[in-house]
Amino acid sequence: MQKLLTRWKNSNWARNSFPFWLILPTIITLLIVQVYPAFYTVWLSFQERSPDGWEFVGTKNFERLFAMSIFDESIGHTIVYLVGYVGLTLIVGFFIAFLLSQKIKFSGVYITLLFIPWVIAQIIVGLVFRLLIVPNYGLLTGFFGNPQLFPPDGLSVLTAVRPAPWFGDFPFPPSPAMIFLIIASTWRALPFVMLLLLAAIQTIPTQVIESSRIDGANALQRIRYIMLPLIMPTLVVAIFSLTLSGINGVGMVFSLTGGGPGTNTQVLSYLLYTIGWGQLKFGRAAALALLMAAINWVLITGTMRITKTGTGEE
Amino acid sequence: MKNMSDKSFLSALARKRIGKFLTHFTLIIITIFALFPILTTLLISFKEQADITRNPPVIFPCDTETDDFDPSACRWVVQGYERVLAPKPSETSITGIEFTGNMVRTYLPNTILYATVASLLVVLLAGTSGYAFSRYKFRGNKAIMSGILAITGVPLLTNVLALYQMGVKIRKSALPFDDRFFIIFVYVGFFLPLSVWIAKGFFDAIPKELEEAALIDGCTPFGALMRVVMPLAAPGLGAVFLLTFVNVWNEFIAGYLLITKNENKTAMFGIYDFISVNLINLQVVAAVCILIALPIVVLFLFTRRTFLSAMVDGAVKG
Repeated sequence: MQKLLTRWKNSNWARNSFPFWLILPTIITLLIVQVYPAFYTVWLSFQERSPDGWEFVGTKNFERLFAMSIFDESIGHTIVYLVGYVGLTLIVGFFIAFLLSQKIKFSGVYITLLFIPWVIAQIIVGLVFRLLIVPNYGLLTGFFGNPQLFPPDGLSVLTAVRPAPWFGDFPFPPSPAMIFLIIASTWRALPFVMLLLLAAIQTIPTQVIESSRIDGANALQRIRYIMLPLIMPTLVVAIFSLTLSGINGVGMVFSLTGGGPGTNTQVLSYLLYTIGWGQLKFGRAAALALLMAAINWVLITGTMRITKTGTGEE
Repeated sequence: MKNMSDKSFLSALARKRIGKFLTHFTLIIITIFALFPILTTLLISFKEQADITRNPPVIFPCDTETDDFDPSACRWVVQGYERVLAPKPSETSITGIEFTGNMVRTYLPNTILYATVASLLVVLLAGTSGYAFSRYKFRGNKAIMSGILAITGVPLLTNVLALYQMGVKIRKSALPFDDRFFIIFVYVGFFLPLSVWIAKGFFDAIPKELEEAALIDGCTPFGALMRVVMPLAAPGLGAVFLLTFVNVWNEFIAGYLLITKNENKTAMFGIYDFISVNLINLQVVAAVCILIALPIVVLFLFTRRTFLSAMVDGAVKG
């Protein structure tokens, strides 16, 4: 028996198949939890619930989804949300990263303290911000409700509907609740972007910055012509991952606005939830999930391309 | 001449100092802004109902009729925490009190269980497969690795729909089905891809010669992995554990939708459930937020180096 075991251990097959056994559990898990559900969603998007199980309905789910007026509106809300959230996070995140990249004392303390929001759950962040503006008792309620600051008669962030749209049906300018949602999301995502950009800025050789300084470039020129081009690959990664988290993050909408007032903060991820579990139309929700997955997929492959070519790896 | 150069030197130094001061000043302001919502929540959680429902609201419940702020008059109470924990005297417990709130009795233990088990499994799977991807050139290595990277970005949200239907189906069938196994399995599958990438990076940094020496000395490949490589990779795997733990702890939508039995639901669901009942009792909402966020914030503060390096690695690769 012992002999057999040693022979097996030393055989070519055992040695060659070793890596295979190492990755097998991972592959099986991913096939069940990620790959199979993805195909299941595709199947589901062509089905409709009937009294005796599922019924094939062709592309009806998609047609009905596109016919919903809330679908168009949701796309509008999602675009407004994404532009606001990604733009604000990038600008403020770069600013903080730039400050931290100056050789200053205590930068570790700043990073640690500034990073805390990122480890707090979306649901909790939503609630924490909601506590600030609950009617009557929130700390900022009075500030927003002040008629002098917000004419004509103050602002109730969670209940005020959005102003008349400027461009057809597109939901812009957004409702106060949407702006508040963007601020809350930005607050939580900032540390991540700050850290990412700081790491990128720190890889820029100091000689490059120094020599541009000697050549007479001022701070703004150094940022515009030296820093930004050099951290561009990281910037793109940040944009894509922020967009991904923005499209798919739903926790904050749940606890901060619940999609309201009305449908003013009903982004696609929340719409998926309402169609699926609110109206129990799983086929139609699957059609929407498929569309969102397609957007995700485009973004991911885009990121993969850029990180590979941009950093010169592989 | 000498004087002149001294002067310009001084002014350059002074300018540098002013610049440093301004940088610190701005950073301090930003830090205060970043922590403001957390601090106000902390304050709210220790207020009493009468101070919560005041209009206009006060930041510190420390004012008296004569004075705007009198530290000796502060009315700090733990009412909010009491409502969450619902302590009752008990003869069986050592401390003499037993916490009967759903949050501490059911939801929080569930979250701790799911996060611990899922993170351990992720470490095990990401460790073994990350090692294989880092060390062995086998057919399809690159292709599978890219596939895993592509999966990294597939969000839980779009898969939850199918996973929910899968759960419904298994529940109807005769198969033994437990919400808890299902959700742990889902969490493992969901947070595994990124972890594989991070783990591979850590293994890449360990010199290959070490194991080759072990192999020559008569170690089996598995023995070399366990005795030589794993101890060296421990900090990296620790980072994977931490990141997964925090992610599972904070995850809401899958726990909310995929777990049917109330006794198996998670702390995030518990918080969401609290809003519907208690939104008027701000101190209770604030207390529950603090209670659930605090363990993770403390965990982060103690492990920040590992945590931050894993974050950057994961983000740049994933």
